[in-house]
Amino acid sequence: MLGFSNISLSNFLFWATQKKWFLYALGLGALLLSFPTPHDLQIEAKISIIILIVSLILIIKEPIPLPAVAIFILIAQIYGGVDTVDGISKSFMSDAVFFIMGSLMLAVVIIKQGWDSRIALGILKVTGNKTAGIALGFLSISAVLSSFIGEHTVAAIMLPIGMTLIRFTSTNLSKVKNLSAVILFSIAYGCLIGSIGTPSGGGRNVIMINYLNQAGISISYFDWMVRTYPFIFLQIPIVSWIIMKTFKPEHRILDSSVRKLVIKVARSRAITGRNTLTVLIFILILSGWVFFSEKFGLGTIALTGVFFYLLGGFVKWSDLNKHTHWGVIILFGATISLGTSISKTGGAMWLADQLIYSLGTFMETIPFFRELVVIVVTTSMSNVLSSSATVAVLGPINLNLVPEILNIGLLTAMSSAFSYFTAVAAPACTIVYSSGMIRAKDFIKIGFRVGMISILLLIAYVNIYWPLFN
Amino acid sequence: MKILIAIGSKEFSTPTLRLGMKVAQAFHAKTTIIDVGEKISEFSSHLVELAQDQMESWDFDPPGVDVLEWAFNYLSDNKLIDSKQIETGFPKNRLIDDGEERKLVYLSGTICDDVNLILRNGDIISELREEVQFGKYDVTIIGKSRKRNMSHDLLQYINSSVLIVNNYDNEKFNKILLPLNDETGMMKVAKYAIRVALALGVGIDILTITNKNDSGHENRFKVTKLKKLFRRSGVAYDYKVEEGDIVEKIINKAGKDKIIVMKASSMSPIQRFFKGSIPLSVMNECNVPILIVK
Repeated sequence: MLGFSNISLSNFLFWATQKKWFLYALGLGALLLSFPTPHDLQIEAKISIIILIVSLILIIKEPIPLPAVAIFILIAQIYGGVDTVDGISKSFMSDAVFFIMGSLMLAVVIIKQGWDSRIALGILKVTGNKTAGIALGFLSISAVLSSFIGEHTVAAIMLPIGMTLIRFTSTNLSKVKNLSAVILFSIAYGCLIGSIGTPSGGGRNVIMINYLNQAGISISYFDWMVRTYPFIFLQIPIVSWIIMKTFKPEHRILDSSVRKLVIKVARSRAITGRNTLTVLIFILILSGWVFFSEKFGLGTIALTGVFFYLLGGFVKWSDLNKHTHWGVIILFGATISLGTSISKTGGAMWLADQLIYSLGTFMETIPFFRELVVIVVTTSMSNVLSSSATVAVLGPINLNLVPEILNIGLLTAMSSAFSYFTAVAAPACTIVYSSGMIRAKDFIKIGFRVGMISILLLIAYVNIYWPLFN
Repeated sequence: MKILIAIGSKEFSTPTLRLGMKVAQAFHAKTTIIDVGEKISEFSSHLVELAQDQMESWDFDPPGVDVLEWAFNYLSDNKLIDSKQIETGFPKNRLIDDGEERKLVYLSGTICDDVNLILRNGDIISELREEVQFGKYDVTIIGKSRKRNMSHDLLQYINSSVLIVNNYDNEKFNKILLPLNDETGMMKVAKYAIRVALALGVGIDILTITNKNDSGHENRFKVTKLKKLFRRSGVAYDYKVEEGDIVEKIINKAGKDKIIVMKASSMSPIQRFFKGSIPLSVMNECNVPILIVK
């Protein structure tokens, strides 16, 4: 056909099949662009909204590599006249991007320090040998740790401990399917629950702080904790109970496996002076976040920690380079820049207005309907997209929904952690899922229950607890 | 000759591996057994790798290694690899990352040349296509998927002959069904059928399907060439000409006890993409293993 060989035609068809979502997204973008611009919307805002829609499809379906999506977002904004090259470059690199970069690098340092065996011992000392207690222990420790050092780091540390306990209970994994689900979901959901507790719990929190700062609102590390941490304590026992009820474990007591794990941990390498120094540096980083983040930014402090770890030879650059996903960092920079553009051009306000016009009656008549809309939209998106990307794109829109900007910002950040339904959205869930011991449909089974309860709890929480601050 | 056998799990891949190794034996082919693990979202791929590194420090194998170990045990139990390697067991420590996002281990075969085990992650069609292009495989052997698109994609995008293992049971299959309707590539597909028949120790039913307008002369002419080939090979064969719908006839004739060996469509990739093809229809509807020779 037209001189093309069958192989080249086949190659082209394969490319088109693999990139079909890219082609659909571009087609949709072109179609939307051809529609007349609403009279109350600037052309720059319209283009930025179209870029947002196209990018969302590309991020969710991944037809092209994520760094390519990031580049697309940046160049489309410039060619589309949304902002100048300088404007896009400025919004591309923010403290939130510094934080995501620093947090991914800190994860590499922390994971390599051998804290896992100490944590395992700590959990078992407190929880005893009953499965329910152990599950609660895994969930609580994962939640508390992830609130400070990030969900992905904690999931990577906790997973081998949980899996070793399961393996010591039975080498035939088909006989301990429910026990596996209990332990692994306790880890994954613990990480998600905890990640809302402090600004350093997840990149999405820092992205939201970035947007709040742009709106002229400042919140300290401690203030964030005061407003969000009680929700963690509220969720921990309830979620643990739901997990135990959903997957009734085959063993109620894990006596011998706990003993075997304690012996294994006792035989592991002893903590060295360097390990202790790593902890001390991390405590300094944490103190920096608590006391100086408003002045210097969370990202700057995280990168300072990375600098000291490199300076002291605690980690090799080659290790950091290997395990840091630069593509994801670029993508977050690009989505934050797009979020900023949507906000600056008035697109976010316009989208929020459309939502208010279409749901305004319900928002005025049904109690808590506004919160419900924000939570449901954010939760839904965070289950198909990454939670940080969800906050990056939804943040500016949600902040325009109601006058209480701080509350709605915190609500968006908190509900973006409800990625309970799928294995692919939150890194903690993906890490646990990659063990091969739980199935995708298990996430739907338990995720629906935990998700629904969390949404109701959050609505009650923001309406009972947060008014105390006003 | 090089053969690629794709396995997916310990539970469902035994028939694929069994038939695959028989075919490998028939062709005395260099064989690679590949497991393609699930695609990990790019968002979390580096973090998952980091977690897996951590898992290895607690003596856990990366996902997929257990499937390769199972394949190794199958080869050992059936004495398909060198006895020294059987004695030393599955060489986890020799599972090397070749920098092309795949892990592999080399073994020496007994019934065929080298036997390699490969672990990859990602979209199955993309990974198999890349592996076939990279290794220049002649036949790809894979179990039938429930996804209808999968058959289409295999035929359309994998640049090798494809054997789909469907409901394969050693005892049940007593014949090869060889539908032949035109001369192009006829001898190649016949040779493949003979090799498989010899490996399984079964005969061949050659089937030419005509419609009412066909004179049949041309087909009968071709068959004289084929008969000579079959006589020389020593494989028992039977030749029939029947009238009717090609796909329906092939499926009826194959029943539940014949392995189908047929030629790939000679249409252009664009035509095949939009209109489908006879081999694709047969592949989708039949309940027996089917080898499409390209």
